[in-house]
Amino acid sequence: MLNKITGHEVDRRLLLKGAAAGGLGIAGATMLAGCAPAASGPMSFGARTVDESPTQQLEALVAAYTVKSGNEVAYNATESNAFQNNLSQYLQGTPDDCFQWMAGYRMQFFAEQGLLEDVSDVWDDIGSQYSDSYKIASTGLDGKQYFVPQSWYPWGLHFRKSMMEEIGLAATDVYNWDDMLGALAELKGQGLIGLAAADKGGWEAMGTFDILNARINGYQFHVDLLAGREKWTDSRVKEVFRHWEMLLPYQNTNVLDLEWDGAMQLLLQKQSGFFMMGSWFGGNFKEQSQEDYDDLMIIPFPEINADHGRDTVDAPLDGFCVAANGGNTGVGKDFIKFAGDMEGVQAMLDTGVPMTSANNGQDKSSYDAFQVAQQAVMDEAKYITQFLDRDTRPDFAGPIIGPAFQSWFKDPSSTNDILESLQSQWDALAPL
Amino acid sequence: MKSSTTLDPVLQKLPKAKRRRSFSKRDRLTLGIFIGIPTFLHVALVWFPAAATIYLSFTYWTGIHIGDIQWAGLANYENIFFNTPIFWDALRVNVVWLIWFGAIATPLGILLAYQIDREIRGSKFYQAAYYLPVVLSLAVIGVIWNFLLRPDGLVNGLLGLEISEAVSFFGDDRYNIWVILTMASWRHIGYIMLLYLAGLKAVDASLREAASIDGATEWQSFRKVVFPTMKPVNVIVIVITIIESLRAFDLIYIIYGSSGGLPILGVLVFQNIAGEGASMKGAAYAVILFLLSIVPIIAYLRAQFKEDMK
Repeated sequence: MLNKITGHEVDRRLLLKGAAAGGLGIAGATMLAGCAPAASGPMSFGARTVDESPTQQLEALVAAYTVKSGNEVAYNATESNAFQNNLSQYLQGTPDDCFQWMAGYRMQFFAEQGLLEDVSDVWDDIGSQYSDSYKIASTGLDGKQYFVPQSWYPWGLHFRKSMMEEIGLAATDVYNWDDMLGALAELKGQGLIGLAAADKGGWEAMGTFDILNARINGYQFHVDLLAGREKWTDSRVKEVFRHWEMLLPYQNTNVLDLEWDGAMQLLLQKQSGFFMMGSWFGGNFKEQSQEDYDDLMIIPFPEINADHGRDTVDAPLDGFCVAANGGNTGVGKDFIKFAGDMEGVQAMLDTGVPMTSANNGQDKSSYDAFQVAQQAVMDEAKYITQFLDRDTRPDFAGPIIGPAFQSWFKDPSSTNDILESLQSQWDALAPL
Repeated sequence: MKSSTTLDPVLQKLPKAKRRRSFSKRDRLTLGIFIGIPTFLHVALVWFPAAATIYLSFTYWTGIHIGDIQWAGLANYENIFFNTPIFWDALRVNVVWLIWFGAIATPLGILLAYQIDREIRGSKFYQAAYYLPVVLSLAVIGVIWNFLLRPDGLVNGLLGLEISEAVSFFGDDRYNIWVILTMASWRHIGYIMLLYLAGLKAVDASLREAASIDGATEWQSFRKVVFPTMKPVNVIVIVITIIESLRAFDLIYIIYGSSGGLPILGVLVFQNIAGEGASMKGAAYAVILFLLSIVPIIAYLRAQFKEDMK
């Protein structure tokens, strides 16, 4: 029902646009028809990053598309937090035709609101280049595709090979919780920080929660908790915080003063042994120097409960969407097809910026050692989750869980109060 | 209008008498346009959104399709008051902010204005130095101070501290609020100084002279002569102090983003109404903030005007 209404509204908007364009009414009709075969004209692309490496990648993609299609592409970059905060308004206003976004709940929400263009026909063309799990992650609640993946990265424990060698710590042998605590104690004994941590941004610590919960209570409980089918006051959740508390003595003390990049600096400057983060920051190491990048390694977060082993990993999928309200959705779809096609992926890979593409066409034998290790982390996992703020309601993740974790860092003894408050805030959420 | 109270009553009556004269059609048209357009804009851009926000604060809505709005009654407010601990944290920060501005920053600004008005040596230099931060927006001030105080910033660098041992200016609850208030005051003091200075320049010098001839001390002449004559400026200063402390947003947003590192109401409004997490809880926050700002101001202004009537 909702979808029907939504569909009507979009049509009306497009019609109005067509009418406003006067003589361009025909163009409006083509847009309504959906897939214009040889789409042409200028379009705009919205990047949700201003960082050096990903910008290089995306500009290469845009340039390759322009060369191939002759369509001019305006490149608009926004800092990722700002982009996220404004997305709703952005999509309702005059958005870029194609923009960078994330798979899963975050995409489904906007698709449900009719703000994303159905790209199922693009998937008909390029779908064979992707495995089924990526297609599922790109699919909205109505069964249509609204997303084309660009790249994935696992969350895990990162460390510097040279540093571990110096200390004489076999980091790759860290398999379970006891191994990890042992390694952390060893690092602390050397006067180092065991685990670099940050949570000023409010999201960084979510990765640690995700993995602890999945390791201790398993994938199903984690997913059910985030969907509201399990309670935050459950003793199993308390167990997560009890384990987390064991890590605190080995962390830097200024967790709330550092954002992810501050914690990354700790690893880069060899002040900390491990860093729990998504591997995407490898690009930042490479910006620093090739040597730093080559030194970087990742292992899966250790096993805590033998029942679940290391069977789950947070591996968010980033990619592209076409905005329903864009000025030139036809070209937007043409662009997203190019971006998802191996030809576009190759343009991004050719920049030399490390990327683990979701496209099957990427030659895995060309992976560097760090990418091979990322693949190994993925291969060991049976279940893949996106990330806490992509797996639960957006009005719960950012405004509620974020500050709750921050206040836990201020006073870890208040776990029970915080969990009770989390549950009552979940219960008070607006009905969907 | 306020200054008219100091005018001679005869003068006050004059324009009224004039106004009773009937206007020509042309005048009416001109007046109609001159009053009508601003009124229309005001209603459309201020009153309509305000009323809509108040209405929406009683609903559930994701902010996208008008058809999805559902009546929620007081649910958003109940949620805020009884289920949201961060609301009380934010309220506390805002109240501390208000007290700090009211008790320290604003009086300091007045003091500086008074000193500079006395034309002490180098007053032009001081004036420029204190006023400089005012030309910067709070966002820019946030960027500057963030650059100085963050863990890998200038101050920690000068202290020779590594990131891991850096003084946690923004992360440690014991003093982050005072750091922020110092940053905010840096600008606020200059702003108040400027306003007050403009007022002081307008105070008739003969009043002071008379006071000092009568043997009043510096403090007495300020307290009993200058301060009361400055009434219109005082009202503005007080209103500005209240508004600036309650609507604080940009500075915090630059330093903490919307993550709630140091919660304040302005950021809660934004976080809950913009972005993916949009719900009309944000509208309810906005209404609460609106009431908090408007009620004391209206009460104060009413009291002031009543006094003037006497």
